[in-house]
Amino acid sequence: MKKYVMIHDENLCIGCQACSVACRNENDTSDGVYRLQVHAEMKGVFPNLKTNFLRHSCVMCENAPCVEVCPTKASFQTDEGIVLLDESICVSCKYCVLACPYDARYVDPITKNIGKCTFCFTNRVAGGEQPACVTVCPTDALTFGDANDYNSEVSKVIATNSIKYPKSELGTKPKLGFVENKKGGRYE
Amino acid sequence: MDSSRRNFLKGTAGIGTLAALEINLGANAADIINNGGDKSVFSFCEMCSSRCPIEAKIVDGKCKFIQGNKHYSTTGTSVCARGGAGVNQLYDKQRIVKPLIRVGERGSGKWRKASWEEALKYCADKLGEIAKTHGPESVVFTAKSSESHKQMTNFACSLGSPNIFSHWSCCPITYQVAFPHTFGGSLSRDYSKAKYIVNFGHNLFEGIDIKYTKKLAKTAAKEDTKLLVLEPRFSVVAAKADEWLPVKPGTDLAFVMALIHVWIRDSKYDKKFVEEYTIGIDEVKKAVKDTTPKWQEKITGIKSTDVERIADEIYKAAPKVIIDWGHKTTTTRAEYQRTRAIFIANALMGNIEKEGGLYFGKKAKTFNDLVGEELFPTLNDPNKAFKVPKTPRIDGAGEKGSKNYFIARKHGVLMDIAPAILNEKPYPVKAWVNTRFNHLINVVGEETTIKAIKKLDFILSVDIYMNDFTQFADVVLPESTYLERDESIQDKSGSLPAYYMRQKAIEPIGDTKNGYDIFRELARIMKIDQNYTWNTIDEFRMQQAKGNDKLLAALIKDGYVEWKVPKLYYREKKYVSKFVEKFPHASTFVDENGEMSSKVKFKTPSGKIELFSQQVEEALPGEGCIHPANMDVYDGHELCLMSGKTPIHTNGHTQNVKVLNDMMSESPIWINPRTAQKRGLKTGDRVLVENKFAKSYAKVMVTEGIREDSLFVYHGFGHISSGLKRTYGVGLNQSKLLNPAYGAVCSTMVTNVGVDIKKA
Repeated sequence: MKKYVMIHDENLCIGCQACSVACRNENDTSDGVYRLQVHAEMKGVFPNLKTNFLRHSCVMCENAPCVEVCPTKASFQTDEGIVLLDESICVSCKYCVLACPYDARYVDPITKNIGKCTFCFTNRVAGGEQPACVTVCPTDALTFGDANDYNSEVSKVIATNSIKYPKSELGTKPKLGFVENKKGGRYE
Repeated sequence: MDSSRRNFLKGTAGIGTLAALEINLGANAADIINNGGDKSVFSFCEMCSSRCPIEAKIVDGKCKFIQGNKHYSTTGTSVCARGGAGVNQLYDKQRIVKPLIRVGERGSGKWRKASWEEALKYCADKLGEIAKTHGPESVVFTAKSSESHKQMTNFACSLGSPNIFSHWSCCPITYQVAFPHTFGGSLSRDYSKAKYIVNFGHNLFEGIDIKYTKKLAKTAAKEDTKLLVLEPRFSVVAAKADEWLPVKPGTDLAFVMALIHVWIRDSKYDKKFVEEYTIGIDEVKKAVKDTTPKWQEKITGIKSTDVERIADEIYKAAPKVIIDWGHKTTTTRAEYQRTRAIFIANALMGNIEKEGGLYFGKKAKTFNDLVGEELFPTLNDPNKAFKVPKTPRIDGAGEKGSKNYFIARKHGVLMDIAPAILNEKPYPVKAWVNTRFNHLINVVGEETTIKAIKKLDFILSVDIYMNDFTQFADVVLPESTYLERDESIQDKSGSLPAYYMRQKAIEPIGDTKNGYDIFRELARIMKIDQNYTWNTIDEFRMQQAKGNDKLLAALIKDGYVEWKVPKLYYREKKYVSKFVEKFPHASTFVDENGEMSSKVKFKTPSGKIELFSQQVEEALPGEGCIHPANMDVYDGHELCLMSGKTPIHTNGHTQNVKVLNDMMSESPIWINPRTAQKRGLKTGDRVLVENKFAKSYAKVMVTEGIREDSLFVYHGFGHISSGLKRTYGVGLNQSKLLNPAYGAVCSTMVTNVGVDIKKA
């Protein structure tokens, strides 16, 4: 069974928002809401500074609180562990929005359905393509693929880097991990 | 694909050299034509001037998604935020899609729609009348760079006006002038293999050019390489550096001259290279005699011990070092000497034609000469028939005795246009033709320009949005966006020969036309089209390709073609021997030492790298060798206002594109907390920014990421055209506040300026 994982290397990320624009166009995201954002966070006191670029999107939990709380089973996981939403049975109760510890879900202002990152599973990955954000990233900061395939690019990245998983203490076991930024703050 | 191109593809004879060179044509031309509603078109971007190759995905006849062109291995499928937003610009309902003729007062925004026939006739009549009465030189022409500039240049030459301008003087002109003076031509940077990169605010992580951005990002992320960044602001490239030196604005020249001082003082430079390939080292020695690390400390704010250490680090890493001249960096009136000093520093490290250093781009002709046969197709240039008239220009560009002597006559000095109109010197200007350039946002002196514009008899602007300059036009001709245009073949050679081509992804929306057709048609109506050897873009391409249908078919299919032959650095033995192995004829150029030193040629007057330039010294005494003057950008003020690029917008062009505007709708002024506190300012406050040139309002963003004596804004806001509904009236246009005095020798517009700031 495939296990799709995405790794965001914060050392390569330049916060250019190419991923975010690609995501919006690929997924026809409504105005005012985002499936994906990269936040820039400058820390320190001049000239002892550091800027971190943090990806904010669904982290595809293995133990997904949004799936657990969904009363209609509209939120579900595919065999590959991708967390998706079946709009035909979603009643838009917003329980999943509240349950998500990553603040990754939103209510679409037009359709009123619940929206979030899908790793572009149905529109790209299922057809053998990479998610839109991974495809366009100018610095190849994103790597996506099957972590159960030891020869995949993503497995190589995992094997050669120390990977952090957001809020790992919650035990949600995310499949979006990151390589922590090492640059900046040389006076620290 | 239209039928004319189909006929052309059928009708041309194949030359057949490509098959031998690993171009996979796959389908034949007919298959490419009939690919139904869903397809991919391979082209290149125009959301900024980097022109990265792209793939436009068409679903149900609609352009849905843009990514990089996978056939171009350097960028692969990568594209930036602006590039991805090409589809949002394409389908923007605020685009101009019908020719417009002004009905109200100039600038009032009152227009009537017109047919192309009427609008073109109107322009032809007006321009014809003005050229007849006042001479063709009374019409000035401005353009964004690239193909629109070429099409407009052809028309201007046909009309007989020498007053042709590109955006160069407000952007890359410094290295465009300093390169021929020093090396006789441009050099490329081998970021991938470099061990040490010194970067002077060349912020490739915000002003994105993917082929460079990708390489620099990967080199910067490596453990065993060093990226040193000098910049007054903690930009993204500074954030990715191994060492960041927050240099005082405008003083980089002093730092570089101190480095050169140390290398010469300690005899730590590539003496063999300098002796063999350069002239003028004695003049340089004299110029840097007193520019010690201690001397620069007071000017730059960088400790002398740091300069000593860095000089040593760079020398040890040489020749795998790049001292990066940037694109448009911390400009001062000393910009030319700053760039020259950087070039000299590179030459002293002997990094020319070396892996991890600098190299000359090599085109098909260069490779054909090396391999001894016409293996790589070369192009014709149908634009060659058009010559810039020899009559005097309003800025004196290229004319002996003029301060703009070294400026190319197809590019000119934009800052001289408005004063020439207002003063009617050297002669009256009556009309202005513009294609896709936003002079009011990008060039110093907004108020002066508006005054000048109002004095003119006629203004024509070709554009896609009702931009700030365009709103003052008498006639607006709507150009199709780059996703709706076919254009000519472009040389994309770098270390290997390559070509690429812009192709329309969809048929034009509304009543818009290709720039080729607009200027071609105008010339035909005016009966000044005797030098045009083509009627359509297909004919133009056919002439370029010399009838090589395989090359054209490959470009139509893949948008990009390159030849996978061994890379070559003339001064690297291992590259030379690999090349000779594949192409034995090239052995005739190999020296005893295994290099191809006879191929290392510099097209300067001396044939060597000119560390001192006699031709510059003769034309502008005192400028032939580097000297540390004119670095001040404060002009008595406590603060210097700088500007730069964001990855989300391009100059004055994209602020109104919805998806980009949603991400960045304003550009507040960066100010250090201690500077803000002194003035009682906090984030979100409205402030008055002023100096003797202008005053303007802006919002404040308090941040640690900037020196206490500096301010920063992202360039491109402060639009005054109400036609740009999403961005009109928002933010500061820093061009308004700039000093109109520009740099010596290269005539660059200076984008750092002293200002005062107070709560409004």
